[in-house]
Amino acid sequence: MDTLKPEIARLFAAKEARRHKLAALPFSEKVRVVVRLQEMAAPVLRARGIKVRVWNLDSRVA
Amino acid sequence: MKRTLQVLNELERDGVIERYAIGGAMGATFYVEPLLTFDLDVFVILPQSASSLLSLVPLYEALRARGYTEEGECVLIEGVPVQFLPAYNALLDEALREARETSYEEVPTRVVRAEQLIAICLQTGRDKDRERVRIFREQAEVDMNYLAGVLQRHGLERKWKQWTP
Repeated sequence: MDTLKPEIARLFAAKEARRHKLAALPFSEKVRVVVRLQEMAAPVLRARGIKVRVWNLDSRVA
Repeated sequence: MKRTLQVLNELERDGVIERYAIGGAMGATFYVEPLLTFDLDVFVILPQSASSLLSLVPLYEALRARGYTEEGECVLIEGVPVQFLPAYNALLDEALREARETSYEEVPTRVVRAEQLIAICLQTGRDKDRERVRIFREQAEVDMNYLAGVLQRHGLERKWKQWTP
C-alpha cells in the first residue's frame, strides 16, 4: 500500500485540524461562514443555470 | 437570519405552527463544520386541522399575509429561503419534541439533536446523507447511548451498521 509523504500527511492533518476548529465555532459565526460559502458557490452554480439566492443576514431586526 | 428566526417564533406564538426546529444542513452545521446550503430546512408540527391532513396551506397563507413570498419550494423570510417540512413520521415527531433549545444572536430557537439528524440521514439515505453521517461521526459530539435508542426505536440499526463498517 502507498504511504503518504510526510509533508503531504502534514497538509492533510492541518486540513483536518482546521475542519475541527470550524466545527467548534459559535453557531452565529458558522452561519456567517455558510453565507461566505454561498457567495463563493453562487457564481459557479448560476453559470450552470442553477438559481440560487445568497442569504441576506442584515435584515431589519424588530 | 435573526429576523427570520423571530418570524418563526411569532408563527409558533400565534399558533400557526405548534412547534418548529431547524434541521437539514443548517441543523448539522450547529454540530459540525459549516456546510454549504442555500435553504434553511425547518421541521414543523402543524396544528391539528379538522380534516387531520397535513397541510402547509394555512402556514403559507399566514406568511403571505405577513408579506413573505414563495420561491419554488421555499418561502423567502427576511432574506433567507425557508423550506418547511411537516413532521410526517415518528422519527421527525420525536426529533421535534426533543430538539435542543438554543439561541442565535440572542433570539431563542431550536435545533434538532445531532442523534436524530443522523437518524434522519439514515432514513433519507441519499449519497449526501451518507457523507453527512461521516462528518457527524468525525466532528460532532454524539451521545452513542442516546443514538442507539433512536436507531432501535426507528428500525435503523441495520442501516447504521451498513454505513459505518
